[in-house]
Amino acid sequence: MKLKINDGEFVIETLIIMVLLSFMLIIGLAVAHIRNLFSVVILTGIFSLIGAVIYVVMDAVDVAFTEAAVGAGVSTVLLLSTLILVDSKEKVTPGLNSFVAFILVTLTGGVLIFGTIDMPKFGDFKAPIHNHVTPRYLTKSSKEIGIPNVVTSVLASYRGYDTLGETFVIFTAAIGVLAIIGRGRRKPEQAIKHAKGETFDDT
Amino acid sequence: MYEILIIGILLTMGLVLIRAVIGPSVFDRILAVNVFGTLTVILICVHGFFTGRPDFLDLALVYALISFIGTIAVSKYVAFSDVKNPIRHDFFGDI
Amino acid sequence: MPVILEFLSWLLMFSGLVFCFIGALGLLKLPDLFSRMHAAGIIDTLGVGLIISGLFIQTGFTLVFAKLLMVLVFIFFASPTATHALARAAINGRVLPNVKNSDVPVPVDNNLISGETQN
Repeated sequence: MKLKINDGEFVIETLIIMVLLSFMLIIGLAVAHIRNLFSVVILTGIFSLIGAVIYVVMDAVDVAFTEAAVGAGVSTVLLLSTLILVDSKEKVTPGLNSFVAFILVTLTGGVLIFGTIDMPKFGDFKAPIHNHVTPRYLTKSSKEIGIPNVVTSVLASYRGYDTLGETFVIFTAAIGVLAIIGRGRRKPEQAIKHAKGETFDDT
Repeated sequence: MYEILIIGILLTMGLVLIRAVIGPSVFDRILAVNVFGTLTVILICVHGFFTGRPDFLDLALVYALISFIGTIAVSKYVAFSDVKNPIRHDFFGDI
Repeated sequence: MPVILEFLSWLLMFSGLVFCFIGALGLLKLPDLFSRMHAAGIIDTLGVGLIISGLFIQTGFTLVFAKLLMVLVFIFFASPTATHALARAAINGRVLPNVKNSDVPVPVDNNLISGETQN
């Protein structure tokens, strides 16, 4: 397998990323416009899947795995389970003045984009992160930590507090979800009776 | 030559996305999303060969699995009223 | 790699791409949900199958071949299952197929227009 690094490859990569980002924009607009909440949940799943493909094209495979599993898999199923508890059609609230909000959001977005003009280009070798922290991790990792995979040693040892905080967050999210959605398993006869309105208790 | 393949697959994804956004019922959108997932798998495989590093094919397998599970979950919920205890309208067993 | 094998692999991949286009066009243009499932099936079987067969020839008998084979087998088994689940869900969601001039009796729900769901 020869590695082709020439100019044509970057053109195709940029084209793929731009096309996929425009797909995400179209899906975002559709999600805001559609009133049927089932369709919104499915389109959100596709949104995360496109994000994961962009991460693959940018060479970040670990992030792509996580985004696919969480965004397109778990998040879709959780949102569907939530739709059991609420109505499945979005209520339209008329009479809001959205012009001021639109101006405000456009100004904020413009200021944010203006702020990123100063940042170094993607993968630039003169960027500060590649000159101070990263060489130290790459050169000293095998002596100080001993794990062959540098990504693992950064995640588990050099940035261990980040990983600890993430496990806290995920644990809290799981407990919250179980508290809201998880109920005991009903028997099928009970479920049919409940649907027909023939039971007296509130299971 | 892989470029033509990649551009063709992106065009196909765009066409399928139109159906996902327009589709008058929710089932059209579920179908379009399933096809979009399969096209994503093909795109990752071809992109891997294009860059000369086809080691990311595990990811394509993960995506195929996840889009399959997502379609089954959505179909099961939309037709029935509960994910864990469906009220069945037919007698042919579970999906 | 000999020229004939390379030519064969590109032929397979481009015909797979053509079938993907045909499937996507069918998904857009066909009038009813159930006929669109046929078009989606074209993409899932012929599109994926031919493109991955072309990629088989590009790589030899290595680990990559095994991974591609697993992807192909999984899509081959999963895609009809998902279509079947979707069709069952659509029938239970009271979407009627759009049949005209058909001699097979179709159950008619008088409160619904064909193609419209209750959701």
